[in-house]
Amino acid sequence: MKIETKLIISNTINAAFIILIGFFAFQNMNLVLTKLRFVEIADDLNASFLEMRLSEKNFFLYHDPNALAVIREKISSTAATLVAAKKDIIPAIGETDLKKLESNLSDYSDVIVAAGRSGRPASPDLEAKIRASGRKLQEYSESITNLERRRVNDIIQSSKKILIFSFWAILATALLISHYISQKIVRSLRAIEKMTRLISEGHFHMIEGFQTKDELGVVITAINSMSEELAHREEEIIQSKKLASLGILTAGVAHEITNPLNNISMLAQTYDELYEKLSEKDRVGFMRKVEEETERIRKIVKNLLDFSKPKDSNPNEADINAVVHKTLTLVQNMVDVSNVETKLTLDERLPSVFVDEHQIQQVLVNLITNAVQAMSTGGKLFIATRAGKRGDSVEITVMDTGKGIAPEFLPHIFDPFFSTKGEGGTGLGLSVSYGIIKNHQGEIRVESKVGVGTTFTVELPIYHREEKNDG
Amino acid sequence: MDKYSIMVIDDEKIVGDMAKMSLEQEGYDVEAFLNAEPALARLKEKKFQVVVTDYKMKGIDGMEVLRTVKKEYPGTVVIMITAFANLDAAIEALRGDVHDFFPKPVKIKELKESIRRALSGS
Repeated sequence: MKIETKLIISNTINAAFIILIGFFAFQNMNLVLTKLRFVEIADDLNASFLEMRLSEKNFFLYHDPNALAVIREKISSTAATLVAAKKDIIPAIGETDLKKLESNLSDYSDVIVAAGRSGRPASPDLEAKIRASGRKLQEYSESITNLERRRVNDIIQSSKKILIFSFWAILATALLISHYISQKIVRSLRAIEKMTRLISEGHFHMIEGFQTKDELGVVITAINSMSEELAHREEEIIQSKKLASLGILTAGVAHEITNPLNNISMLAQTYDELYEKLSEKDRVGFMRKVEEETERIRKIVKNLLDFSKPKDSNPNEADINAVVHKTLTLVQNMVDVSNVETKLTLDERLPSVFVDEHQIQQVLVNLITNAVQAMSTGGKLFIATRAGKRGDSVEITVMDTGKGIAPEFLPHIFDPFFSTKGEGGTGLGLSVSYGIIKNHQGEIRVESKVGVGTTFTVELPIYHREEKNDG
Repeated sequence: MDKYSIMVIDDEKIVGDMAKMSLEQEGYDVEAFLNAEPALARLKEKKFQVVVTDYKMKGIDGMEVLRTVKKEYPGTVVIMITAFANLDAAIEALRGDVHDFFPKPVKIKELKESIRRALSGS
């Protein structure tokens, strides 16, 4: 569900809650008003009943016929009030109670009329009837008045409770929903942030465990497909980067070939010129040298071809020093013409490694090319191999005396498309190297000091025989 | 007439060997060196009319040989050969008063002709 939809739904629920409570409160208020109106009327009625009872007492004490007249008058005015206020009374106490009140009143009226007709002091029997009927009328009226008062009170109390409860309920629901939604958004955003950081470091993984169909789900899907695409492209980048270094290497290799070519040429020219004067042994020696020089060219060309050929990773047991030497045949000339002096310190007793030789060569070519480019006015290039500190790896260091890398750039130099070479760099060399070394379960590290130089250290796990059985 | 002395400096052994064999046929006295240090030391002991040097060498390179020779032995002719044939190198060599500049692979006949011209000019 979309985040937008969720927000709309939660807001609608809350709004419905508030409307419901408002409606309920309004209803209660109306009911309270009705009851209060009745209580007001009932108070008047009660006052009238009280007066009737007083006159009734006077009648019994003094046998005053006027008292009866007063009562009758009160009865008819009260009956008129009941009829007039019917609209206000029925909603408050209901028709049954009104009827009962009316019938009580008419019972009382009957006994009063009976007493008036006799003209004399009432018989004890009638007197008792009058008293009972009057008391009944008064008590009933007072009891419903009190009941209504209590009801009003109850309604107000329960309204108060409901209002307080619904205030907390709405608040809690709103908070819970917004917390839930924001947690979901934050969680997704964190995953996205982590993933984009990993991608920027060159790890192309998928964001997993997020099946949301909301807006962030769409973003995650987009990032996942981008990551997939990048992983797919990485192979192509490795290859294209290799072709780019090939451009740099070709010039050097051409020169590398020129020397044996010149040797062959000079051997042939001298052979031709001095043929008569050469002994059979000399002639054989000349031809052997031609063969040797041809072999030299063949090796150089093979190295270059091997390097440029696109191929899947094919790790084998290898001597790291031999890999370094092979790499040097490719780059030596570039190094030499850049006025850079090479110093090799290779530990000859190193255990073998399990690597794709050409990929490691590619990394070394890249590191050496970078080193040479950092020493535009010449310098020294130290290449060394040694056992790793933990004992289960070998280390290759490529150290230059170049301009160094600024500390703020150091954390980014393995990022794809990060380059300190301006327009000259693609920013892919080191990221490709990083990817290759990571694929070998190795590590690549850098230390640098501006104006002093840079050291790259490549650490590769040593070869264990069981790896071969696995593969 | 005394034999002309020619020095050949190149870190490729075959270059020195072949140049020596071929130039000796012309009646020159030829000494070959694989790098510049012993060659420059030898120049202090013996006068050479021509120095043929490689341009790109480990340690002291061809340009430095050219400068040293021109400074210490102005009468000696320097011919440069190089596998790294680019215009900058040629211009640099010409400014340093090089007699001739040959890209590898070297045509021995042309080298001989250049030496002959250098010697007849001196």
